[in-house]
Amino acid sequence: MPDYVVMPKTVTEIQRVLRLANHRKIPVIPYCNGTNIGGLCVPEEGGIIMDLKRMDQIIKIDPETCYAVIEPGVSHAAFSAALKASNPQWKGNEFSKGFDFGWGVHPASASVLAMAINHGIGHLNGRIGINSQLLTGMEVVLPTGEVCKLGSCAYSDSWHSYLPLPRMDGLFTGWLGTTGIVTKLGMWIFPIRPFKDVCTIAAASADDITKYMVHWRHYSLCDEVTAVSWWLAQVPIVFPYREKPKDAPEFYSYTVLTGWTQEEIDYKKKMWKQVVAQERAKGTKLIDFEYPPEAKKGRTELPSRIVGSTKNYSKSCGGGIAWPGTFAPCKSWPILYEKWKEIYIRHGLSPATRFTDYQGAHYGMLRCMTPFNKRDPASVQAARDAMVECVRAGIPEGMLPYKPPVEYQNELNAVADAGYLYLTAKIKDMLDPNNILNPGKLGVR
Amino acid sequence: MSHLLKNKNLEIAKIYDYVSMCTHCGNCKYGYEYGPDANFAAMLCVQGDKFNFDSYRGSRGKVSLARSLMHNRIGFSDAVAHVLFTCTGCGACQQMCETDIKPYILRMFEALRADAWKQNVKIPANIKAWSDTIGKNYNPYKEKHEKRLDWIPSSIKSSLPKKAEYIYFVGCTASYRQKEVALATVRLLQKLKVDFTIVDDEWCCASPLLRTGQYDTAKDFVEHNSALPDKYKASAFITTCSGCYRTLSRDYKMDAPEGYADKYGKNLPNTKVLHTTQLVEEMMNKGEIEFTGKFAQKVTYHDPCHLGRHAEVYDAPRNILKKVPGLEFVEMYRNKKFSFCCGAGGGVRGGFADYSLETATKRVKEAEATGAQVLTSACPFCYTNLHDAIEMNKSPLKFEDIIQIIEPIVKRK
Repeated sequence: MPDYVVMPKTVTEIQRVLRLANHRKIPVIPYCNGTNIGGLCVPEEGGIIMDLKRMDQIIKIDPETCYAVIEPGVSHAAFSAALKASNPQWKGNEFSKGFDFGWGVHPASASVLAMAINHGIGHLNGRIGINSQLLTGMEVVLPTGEVCKLGSCAYSDSWHSYLPLPRMDGLFTGWLGTTGIVTKLGMWIFPIRPFKDVCTIAAASADDITKYMVHWRHYSLCDEVTAVSWWLAQVPIVFPYREKPKDAPEFYSYTVLTGWTQEEIDYKKKMWKQVVAQERAKGTKLIDFEYPPEAKKGRTELPSRIVGSTKNYSKSCGGGIAWPGTFAPCKSWPILYEKWKEIYIRHGLSPATRFTDYQGAHYGMLRCMTPFNKRDPASVQAARDAMVECVRAGIPEGMLPYKPPVEYQNELNAVADAGYLYLTAKIKDMLDPNNILNPGKLGVR
Repeated sequence: MSHLLKNKNLEIAKIYDYVSMCTHCGNCKYGYEYGPDANFAAMLCVQGDKFNFDSYRGSRGKVSLARSLMHNRIGFSDAVAHVLFTCTGCGACQQMCETDIKPYILRMFEALRADAWKQNVKIPANIKAWSDTIGKNYNPYKEKHEKRLDWIPSSIKSSLPKKAEYIYFVGCTASYRQKEVALATVRLLQKLKVDFTIVDDEWCCASPLLRTGQYDTAKDFVEHNSALPDKYKASAFITTCSGCYRTLSRDYKMDAPEGYADKYGKNLPNTKVLHTTQLVEEMMNKGEIEFTGKFAQKVTYHDPCHLGRHAEVYDAPRNILKKVPGLEFVEMYRNKKFSFCCGAGGGVRGGFADYSLETATKRVKEAEATGAQVLTSACPFCYTNLHDAIEMNKSPLKFEDIIQIIEPIVKRK
């Protein structure tokens, strides 16, 4: 529980709170909307919750350079509406209605900034990478109260890129709010492509679906390719665990195609069919299936209340939902799926697993949605134990949890390179000498 | 009921199995629609818009409070009471919710208020004041019951039948405050040759009691009003008040969570409840109404929460307005299920007048932005708050209830 909550409206107010907190050695936990499922805003040692939702201005949308600058309190709802209302123009010709950003599976009220600086994922993962790869500049208040601008905005009012400067933004992305309070964020935005379609295929095993996904992704033709296990494909997720029907596929996959013309979509679909045919010729067991219209709508009209809702995950289980969410090399997906499946079934839980490829088939998301009955301590404990076991099993296979709760962080630190931990602690000490900013979250201080 | 709960005697405990289904996703905190034909994003929670702090914003904060109270992690306090009683119960958060708690959200707010009454916490003084007298006056305005029908001119009063098909359920606000709305309704019903009467033993519908969690006091009111149709051989209630409409059509009749049949039994099983706009629309559709004049003004419509989000009556008022000759209808950005409350509901107008008017001012500004000359609605309580905000801000807008707009220019065919 926090001891205090402050709701600053300006950078100056943030500075004053941080200076006071340093003087009194009080922890400060940055908070935007409290929707992170890893509990990043839950104080480990009490202190001040710094609620940033009053800083909710979209400062700039630059349609020519295709970037936007926002404050931490800007919700996905507000940002998407503003982007959609912006018409990119090219030499006087309208070519698209509005802009896109990477919209993920999150509620509409979630903070765009908090999601982006913590390596949140979005629906353009396959085409342009995760959202923290789209950042172009930031203004940050250091734990000791100084304000810094990083990227091109440090030299002018143009927030177009960090490059070619040293990438100091890395000191504040993925640090779980422990090294600074980001008060403005620049990020690339992308014209919405007017033509969209979804192709679907299923497979009898994790191995088969991974072969197909990796093959398809090598062509870099889709915005996203994702697969979900039978248990995650059910609405709601099967809880508690029960066996899937013998004739049902183990995995269902969708891939989202976008383009500027129908011809572009047709070409991409032709290539996709070719990949499916080639995989089948190699012996990969792929099964045709039709995507339900509601699901297709959800995937092509992002951000969406349909996709952003937790109803599909937690309905009728008791209202609890969590997941071990990880970045992992694609080749380890089938190996880890089999391990996770054994762990989850042993704990009475369904292996409701998702694979999503990130830009260029190098790596992707592996996570297991975990409903639990939050009114039942045994159910809560089973979910917690299963997830920690999954993290433990995954690390040797190259898997890293994202937005990790402290339990995961401890598992990571236990096997981390000593030099990495030394440098992490050294940077944290340098930026935050009194260890006031979200202490305990990194497991090193 | 989970063995985790430590505070099982609370009213909230009775519905905790549903309350605990909130996944804390936060969809309730912001209005939002996206798709090829929609691009909407706006703050809908009046309480969150004013106070911002998470407990105030949407239903998620109140669920956290409920859980903490149930588990004895926190106790009832003045601060908790402030969160509970500054919610207008507008239902915007319920509209956005996608989880299993959805139907229970408004019931949860009222149950928490019911529990607050039993604690030593600061209930808003004005709510307490009318609560002390409503059992005697049968209205929350501290007016004498004997004066309830004083607004009716004697000529009309004498023409009302003893028994009729419809009972015009006037409601407290129209009876004691916005009397011109009640008069316009009577004139309209007479012009349309509707077989109706008005009864002198109408009591408050109990909406203010239920919305503020005064369950025990509400019981007598529900039972009393439920006996009226049989007494006057009427088959239906008709009302111009959205609060009365919601209460009579849902709270009296329906099972939990939509209504209070679990507490007071299923009342009015054979009695239809109509809002005046529904009756007028129905008669228009049957070709029974003819316009005799024009209303050459630009008009925007404010959805009363109790008629709109609570009862899903969005189209009837709009369909009527669109048929009025000369009337140019224009929507505000926040409308229908994404409407923004006038700020009066849930006891807020009485309990927190400044905040209530501040909310109404936001709505009036939104109406002004449409370029409309007239702001209309279908609820005397919204009338009170929006009209006051117009006057307070010296807005160029004029407020007229929808019945006041159509009454002068219609006749029965």
